[in-house]
Amino acid sequence: MTEKVKHSKLFLWFVQVLRVCGRELLLVFRDTGVVIFFLLLNALYPVLYSIIYNPEVVRDEPIVAVDDNRTQESRDFVRRINATQEVAVVGYAANMQEAQEAMCNKSCYGILHIPRDFGQNVGREEQTHVSLYCDMSVMMRYKAFFTALSNVTLALGSERMEAVVKPVLNMSGSIVESRQVPVGNSAMGIGSAVLLFILPLVLQQSMILGIAMLHGGSIERRRRNGGRDPMAVEASPGATIIGKMMCHQIIYVLPVIYVLHYVPLMFGFPQNGDILHIICLAVPFIIAVSLMGQTLSAFVNERESVFLLFVFSSVVFVFLTGVSWPRYLMSRLWWLVGDCVPSTWMSNAYVLMQSNGASLYQVQHHYWMLWIQVFVMFVLAYLIERFVNRRRYRSWIAASEDKPRILTRIDMAKNGVG
Amino acid sequence: MILKYIGRSFKRGCVQLVRRPMYFLLMVIMPILCSWFLLDLIKGGSVQLVPVGIVDLDNSDMSRRVSRNLNGFQQVNICHRFNNFAEARDAVQRGEVLGFFFIPDNLEESALGGRQPVVSFYVNYAYYAPGSMQYKGFKTVSMLVNGGIAQVALRTVGLSNEKIAASLVPYQSHVHMIGNPFINYNYYLNSTFVPCFLSLFILLVTAFSLGLELKSGLSRQWLKTSGNSMFLALVGKLVPQTVLFSAVCWFVQWMMFRCYEFPLNCNPWNMLIAMFLLVVANQSFAVLMYCFVPNFRYGTMLCTLLGMVSFSFSGFSLPHESMYSWVAALGYVMPIKYYFLIMVDQALNGIDLYYSRVYYAALIGFTILPMLLSWRLKKECLNPVYVP
Repeated sequence: MTEKVKHSKLFLWFVQVLRVCGRELLLVFRDTGVVIFFLLLNALYPVLYSIIYNPEVVRDEPIVAVDDNRTQESRDFVRRINATQEVAVVGYAANMQEAQEAMCNKSCYGILHIPRDFGQNVGREEQTHVSLYCDMSVMMRYKAFFTALSNVTLALGSERMEAVVKPVLNMSGSIVESRQVPVGNSAMGIGSAVLLFILPLVLQQSMILGIAMLHGGSIERRRRNGGRDPMAVEASPGATIIGKMMCHQIIYVLPVIYVLHYVPLMFGFPQNGDILHIICLAVPFIIAVSLMGQTLSAFVNERESVFLLFVFSSVVFVFLTGVSWPRYLMSRLWWLVGDCVPSTWMSNAYVLMQSNGASLYQVQHHYWMLWIQVFVMFVLAYLIERFVNRRRYRSWIAASEDKPRILTRIDMAKNGVG
Repeated sequence: MILKYIGRSFKRGCVQLVRRPMYFLLMVIMPILCSWFLLDLIKGGSVQLVPVGIVDLDNSDMSRRVSRNLNGFQQVNICHRFNNFAEARDAVQRGEVLGFFFIPDNLEESALGGRQPVVSFYVNYAYYAPGSMQYKGFKTVSMLVNGGIAQVALRTVGLSNEKIAASLVPYQSHVHMIGNPFINYNYYLNSTFVPCFLSLFILLVTAFSLGLELKSGLSRQWLKTSGNSMFLALVGKLVPQTVLFSAVCWFVQWMMFRCYEFPLNCNPWNMLIAMFLLVVANQSFAVLMYCFVPNFRYGTMLCTLLGMVSFSFSGFSLPHESMYSWVAALGYVMPIKYYFLIMVDQALNGIDLYYSRVYYAALIGFTILPMLLSWRLKKECLNPVYVP
């Protein structure tokens, strides 16, 4: 290498970046707390969540029947309800009071009421009615009861309709057949729907927590050492940010592959995406999250305050991705807030890839949005590092030159001493 | 003497709260802001107007009527008309539509000729709630197609309207949704998610404030201000937080039940007391975790982990009887589960207080539990070790 290259500004800058990256790696692996966030959290949390949702669908929801008719038709109706996958008839109650008592005691979550004229109406070929009372505490229970009841009434109904219509239209079965094809999440399970949104979010939150904890550690060292961090490498703000970002990229290679590829494999979630395309999508995501973490860590003054400041944001970010309330129904404000978070784009693109088999080309909008976020987050991180953090360190150094113990004293005062 | 200790300990707890602006942020601003976020996000109530597409290969009078009917439904919104299946599939993969209705060619001809054409609807269940809504809309429309043709045919042979109705819909089902007749998603989701979110804040703040004593090495002084009584020390430290949290949580309940008009079919005091018990139970739960693991990092981590996972294993979304039994059992470890059960019994279903007695008792039980184990925390406080 020529002397000219060695002394060029770009080369020196690059050396700074590498030194920052190396030091950050060292700091990460010396700190058990950060290793727990970066590796252990990613290893265990997705598995824990997947196990909770692994049953996927609701089966045999308990229901009580109140049969005021007691005919062959009404018994047949109850038997058919019992035979559905979703519902199990746990018993007959003599009257509604008895059924209500069962519901209050949580022995069942629904009451099927068959009125007195049920059998007669069937015999006279008149319209007949059944009532279902269901507990609304959990939406999936309601869905199970509703699906079972409508499937049974439709099946029985089409049998009777056929008998009437057949002589007129000279055909059997319904006139137009209809068929549902579930795409994406073909098991129609809740786990497959929810977890794919949550997996990228676990990556994002674990990374932000880890980065903020590292920053908190550095702040604590500065407070003890008169505003200077003995472990920090002298580098320009840009080099510091990029060096740290490189370190996070290196560490997250394994968690990304494990969380986005192997966890769905272990639990049989939809895996229609190409792993290469998913990794390509994850590159801007991880860069954006690393920069976002470095921006947000300006709020952190001690290691453990990351728990207070960032943990709850996971819940907010989960909702912003649109997993439980679709994004197209959100108000303009929340839609825009959601646009600013990397996980929103990543989760939605990842779901489209894994569930619907979209290629990177088909989610290019999400992909480019992630790159725009990389750019914006970099500018933010740079401004914070240069004009907030560094200015703060300089003022600390100046203050502790006058009074050497000022920083620790402020800290003690916060804990209620003096 | 005891009063003096209580007073000193109480004063110390208040001073600590006041000197860190972060406490104010995490105990007042953020809980209210986040609750408002959740309540405002879902204020629409029910999932409607799911963006869907239609592939009409028939382009007949009947198929156009089908698509007009479909668009008339509140559940779906036809925002794309595709020329063929491939286009529709591409749009689903891009996320532009969440599903589509497929009408084959010769629909009208085959239907009237009795050759049973098949209409299909492709529903993307990767988005769970919109998927279920789409299914409802699509299913109803395909039923209407059948009914429309049959009705005309039956009328021509001279059947009365009642007879036609009886043969088209012989079994009329009435579903009564107790307490939430409009299937309002906000009532369902946020009457549990918001308190669970508040519990998370309570757990975090309690764990943090306890851990800080161990970290700063001031735990011995903390015990000294309360005359070496762990109980008084905890009371002095946590009661100011209880007061603040209860006020905030009651305010959030006021938002839920008054501003957003959540169902409240019981005496309001039942819910107010349940909320107060939830606050105290969560604080005690955090103390209990510290008694098990008297260490700043692991104690806080345990509270965080359980607080986050309790959103899932308390059975708000997947009902507990469908979970693996050990996961369902784990749900009963957290105070929020009992609040959820009280909420369902009292606010939603409005049944007798007698049926919820166990849940109230359980919440009170959480408060007593850490007292039995507080000797472990005391031991650690006398010799605090901080592991970074």
